[in-house]
Amino acid sequence: MKNIKSILLALLVFIMAAACTIDERVDPNGASLNSVLTDATFTELNNLVTGIEARMRNGFDVYVTATGTISRELYLFDADPRNLTDLVGLENDQGENRELDNNSFYLTSPYNNRYRVIKNCNILLEAVDNASVEVTEANRNGYRGYANTIIAYELLLVLNLLDENGIRVDTSDPDNLGDFVTKEAAFTEIVRLLDLAVTQLGQAGSEFSFALTPGFTGFNTPATFTEFNRAIKARVEIYRGDADAALTALGESFFDLDGDLSIGPKHVFSTAGPDILNNLFKIPQQSGDQIIANNDFINSAAPNDLRVQRKTVVRDDAVSLGGFSGTHETRLYASSTSPIDITRNEELVLIYAEANIMLNTAASLTEAVEALNIIRTAAGIGAYGGTVDQAALTTEMLDQRRYSLWAEGHRMIDLRRYDRLNTDFVVLDTNIDPDSGEELSQVIFTQFPIPLADTN
Amino acid sequence: MMKKVYNYLMVILLPLGMYHSTYAQQLSVSGKIIDSNTKEGIAGANVVIKGTSRGTITDIDGNFSIDVERGKILVISFVSYLTEEIEVTSATMNVELNEDITNLEEVVISGLASSVKRSNLANAVGTVSAEELVGTTGQSTIDGALYGKLTGVNITQSSGAPGGGVAMRLRGVSSIFGNNQPLFIIDGVYMNNSEIASGSRFASGANNGAEENASNRLADLDPNDIETIEVLKGPSAAAIYGTRANAGVVLITTKRGQSGRTRVTFSQDIGVNTILNKVGRRSFTADQVQAEFTSASDPDGTITRGQFEDALAAGEIFDYEDEIFGEEGLILESRISISGGDDKTKFYVGGSIRDEDGIVKNTGFNRRNIRMNLDHKLSEKIKITTSSNYINSDAARSFTGNENEGGLSYGYTLAFTRDWVNLFPDEFGNYPTNPNYPGNPLLTRDVAQNTETTNRFIQGLGIEYNLFNTSNTSIRLKFNGGVDYLQNQTFVYVPEFQQAQVGTTNGFIAVGNNEIFNKNFQAFATFDKFLDNVTLSTQAGISYLDFDRDLVLTQTTQLIPGQTNATQGGAQQVIQDIQLEEEFGMILQQEANFDDKVILTAGIRLDKSSLNGDPNEFFAFPKASAAVNIANFDFWTSSVVNSLKYRIAYGETGNSPTFGALYTTFDATNINGSPGVIIGLDRGAPDLEPETAQEIETGIDASFLDGQLSLTVTYYNKTIENLLYERQIPSSTGFTFQIFNDADLRNQGLEVALNARPVSNSRITWNTGANFWFNRSELTRLDGPSIAPRNSAFGTGLGSFFLEEGEPITQLKGNQGGELVTIGDVEPDFQFSWFNEINLFNNIDVSFLLHWKEGGDNLNLTRLLTDIGNTTPRDIEPLRDPNFYVEDASYLRLRELAVYYTFPKISAFNNLVNNLKIGASARNLFTITDYSSYDPEVSTKGGQGLSTGVEVTPFPSAKQYYFHLAVEF
Repeated sequence: MKNIKSILLALLVFIMAAACTIDERVDPNGASLNSVLTDATFTELNNLVTGIEARMRNGFDVYVTATGTISRELYLFDADPRNLTDLVGLENDQGENRELDNNSFYLTSPYNNRYRVIKNCNILLEAVDNASVEVTEANRNGYRGYANTIIAYELLLVLNLLDENGIRVDTSDPDNLGDFVTKEAAFTEIVRLLDLAVTQLGQAGSEFSFALTPGFTGFNTPATFTEFNRAIKARVEIYRGDADAALTALGESFFDLDGDLSIGPKHVFSTAGPDILNNLFKIPQQSGDQIIANNDFINSAAPNDLRVQRKTVVRDDAVSLGGFSGTHETRLYASSTSPIDITRNEELVLIYAEANIMLNTAASLTEAVEALNIIRTAAGIGAYGGTVDQAALTTEMLDQRRYSLWAEGHRMIDLRRYDRLNTDFVVLDTNIDPDSGEELSQVIFTQFPIPLADTN
Repeated sequence: MMKKVYNYLMVILLPLGMYHSTYAQQLSVSGKIIDSNTKEGIAGANVVIKGTSRGTITDIDGNFSIDVERGKILVISFVSYLTEEIEVTSATMNVELNEDITNLEEVVISGLASSVKRSNLANAVGTVSAEELVGTTGQSTIDGALYGKLTGVNITQSSGAPGGGVAMRLRGVSSIFGNNQPLFIIDGVYMNNSEIASGSRFASGANNGAEENASNRLADLDPNDIETIEVLKGPSAAAIYGTRANAGVVLITTKRGQSGRTRVTFSQDIGVNTILNKVGRRSFTADQVQAEFTSASDPDGTITRGQFEDALAAGEIFDYEDEIFGEEGLILESRISISGGDDKTKFYVGGSIRDEDGIVKNTGFNRRNIRMNLDHKLSEKIKITTSSNYINSDAARSFTGNENEGGLSYGYTLAFTRDWVNLFPDEFGNYPTNPNYPGNPLLTRDVAQNTETTNRFIQGLGIEYNLFNTSNTSIRLKFNGGVDYLQNQTFVYVPEFQQAQVGTTNGFIAVGNNEIFNKNFQAFATFDKFLDNVTLSTQAGISYLDFDRDLVLTQTTQLIPGQTNATQGGAQQVIQDIQLEEEFGMILQQEANFDDKVILTAGIRLDKSSLNGDPNEFFAFPKASAAVNIANFDFWTSSVVNSLKYRIAYGETGNSPTFGALYTTFDATNINGSPGVIIGLDRGAPDLEPETAQEIETGIDASFLDGQLSLTVTYYNKTIENLLYERQIPSSTGFTFQIFNDADLRNQGLEVALNARPVSNSRITWNTGANFWFNRSELTRLDGPSIAPRNSAFGTGLGSFFLEEGEPITQLKGNQGGELVTIGDVEPDFQFSWFNEINLFNNIDVSFLLHWKEGGDNLNLTRLLTDIGNTTPRDIEPLRDPNFYVEDASYLRLRELAVYYTFPKISAFNNLVNNLKIGASARNLFTITDYSSYDPEVSTKGGQGLSTGVEVTPFPSAKQYYFHLAVEF
């Protein structure tokens, strides 16, 4: 028995010895969040900056096609049926109109990507505050001005989707999110951030300590980036109806009535391996994945409008899917690496016209007509010949925005701002049920619901 | 059957050997153990003096001799026979053993270092023998071969492609986020059963790797190598496996050599794969085309009608379903095994080649497998066993399942393809553009590739040291360890002229180099004490495992035309995923057997894991069980009921978070060639603990009429606490998901197995077995909001799984006008399987397995797609709920059917051939179901999570016909 005891004892010792400590592991697959929050180097901060610029592009294609479908400027013909059912509120088999889902890709893709970029911006802001000593105060202000401008722009895109539902503006602490604030409060915060960014950019020296891509050529110093910031501010002010503030902002932006309408910062794409392609480019004459121009967009166009000719192409075969059909497809982008404009002088000229129409003085209306004529001339449709009053010019301005900014994510917001996102102003294509031969009714939605994950 | 042959051989071939010796106080007893039916000697039977560990083994003819005191009791036992106890009264004892029809004597592995015979087991452990597994018809994978053969097991197929894609569930869903597949252990080696994605999703647009319909790596094992499979279905049986056993454990034991004459067997299968069931295509008349394909550009449908009429006139109306899925795939399998050995060394060497073509041209599965199992007794005290298996397998699976505008998945493409459009290549080999979808399925079939090759080595090693042995005490040390190393290469090629590639990515190549290396070892001491009326058995030990996975995927786009090398393109991207897991456990178990009347067991396992928030915190998984053999008590005198056991068992197991759940990490991004970082979608939860399951299982085992009839009834109640699941967090945080563990789940079920031999005479033997089982689940706690779990379906708009307190975890809910309504439940009401084996005149064997699954819904999104594409057959039954594509997936299936003829032993070549058998069989011969798609067993999201029962254009299942030939020399 003694033998057994000693054996058992030996075994016990063996077990204890083998009860080795398992090392705590770090993620072998990527940099950890904590690694940048203290003593971040230039490289680490600049990687955050580039990540922000890169990710701004994700989900923007869905933003364009979803809002474009709702406002009936285009249809996305692809494998997902929801693009042609949910987004148009198509009547289902029970005779009920479909609702926008609060957890489907057409909402969550743009929404999630925008806040993911905002998170990266907030991480950048935190990292900058605790960055390595080599980062000067001017450098830090450069990062801050960049981050705050981008946060404001991204929040604006989210607000454009949710509109009267309001949005969350304070999201820096995931465990303690700010409440949803009203549309008005959100505008106020967006403007505050844009203005704060301008102050910071003003103290950032003459050069950034980070590089932006060629998409920001001409907007890649603190001074020129400020001009981009002001362009966004002009857009926000127009959205919230402050014509004077919009004009002031335009004055500080790259707005130029005599300038090239195409100038402005862009999202760029490349075929570099891990980069993404421009998803709004569609293969010419392809059917299964195509952006089709809404028929009324083609039919209501002024004769020989160069914009229609440049942005769309007649299809070899008219195409139909899910009860919708169209004769023209997108040619907005020449290739899958064509850049997408974030904003450009053309929009700023239109904002200038709109602000002047809002002011509604004789001089301002004349100014507005002049601005609109710049757009019209460029489009090859001659000068404006209609009534010069606020109502008529508003219609004209919205029409020019429709053709100048087609398939760029503006139509839904523009119609909504003037209470025109309804059947009085939007022509619906008929949709015939292939089984019954009956026409299916549709709905024009005006805003997206709060995403499911954010309602909890 | 084989056993009888074996015994026959033993009698014929080997010389008699009897030994006599005498001791002063003891009687030298000798005798012969024979089969009561055949009267042939039984070789290798155990003869043990009751109450001691002392005994001997019968020789090749069934003879034994042993020195024993008069009046002692000899316990005589052998695999597949009922144990006999005989009092020693004279020097010559001949004993007849009766065949154990009810498997009561079968030895079941109950712990990590011990085994127990079935009649003493406190759990309903499912066992499948080689004969049951592969004896009827040809089987390409183990998991596929198991369905219908055990209670409590549900199996679904994520792909009908040859070479697997099978998900196995034991006793319902046991995890949402983590592993839902049982732990597979082969000869002591922890096996990898992962699905390795090939990256085809980056070309097809599928949402994630699980939608690629990859095969699960269990497919590498040759089912014919297997001797037995034991299935520990729940924590009460599997507690000793601790933190990896929440979903049950499948213990696989491979064939080993027997001492005696060297046996050589060769067998050849020839078979054919054909589609199980065609869905059919929509039929059209010109009027129907015109009426159904109107559009604004073709408002009265005349243009489309014209296209149809032109095609009709040219005789060019095709059946693309038949064109793609109508192939008959040849199956060839050759196997050879050589086994034998002597008292000291035993060996089994086996090799097989399986070459299987699928029902789609250019798809198939090849497996080349070689195994060597060795047993060697170094001395009377030390025994060494090794199991070595090398496998080389390759598969071509092509493209199926979900996608988004990739134009690759066959079913997806077919749903939109009109049969009057000619997609066949022209005389120059150019494939026409599909006007209705961005892909030509014939191009995909003929030119695009999705293949994989695996080289795998599984090596197990066991050393048993008989440290100490007296008449009533034994101490053994047992070491077990092994490695499972697999190197897998995947290859996806989509040519630059494929429709969806043109103008965008311009061709796609993905080359995956994946290495998975599992290492595990365990060391145990077992201590057995034989007392007068009780046998005590103690085991204590440790277990360590270390799993490394390194998955590297290189993608190339913007291809140089015609090139298939990953360097030959304009844009390269590399994805690497490393996973490292390390675990350590300590185990203690105590068993007390009171004269086979009452058997009590208690044990505990302590585990820690690098997957947990604190890698050095131990989690305890206790177990306790009792089995009472009522018929073994003296008061039991019934001659009708021969054995009656009541059993109850309790046990706990765990499941650690999956790798990566603890970390908040940046993803790498790129814009215009510049690298950047963006915060990851998943917010890490650094303090996660394992989810834990508790199960109580109770039941009765009884056998009647001398074992002609046996019944097993089991009820279980399994609760999983702190269920790990991924929940969306407000995406305004910048994150999308985080892992929570604030939910509990309960699974309850009943399992009934009935086995009988209704007819047994010299001409006819009929064995029959019926299994009945069902499971019901309920989410008993959900502290978070009710949600549709990530990646389980495609959102509530189309219908989805939905976690909701008080409801089954398998329920499907859909969003109807803004309101969530219950639209179905994938859990079957019950399942029933019936196995029959009839032997006629000792020459003809007929067997079949019928499987009935009643209830359980599927979400048939294939039909949604064909409805959109207007290709759904006209005669299809209307949907139950017109808003959702939910269908009843009940079925009755003849899984296996076989007829074999064994040539009589007395024949011309008797001296050369010991056994010659030929046969024909079929797998999935018929299925009766109302389900409108290819196969009601389906899972578009692979084997993980809740995905079972959701269908999106799968690789259609096949039925198989075989001809078999088996020769034993």
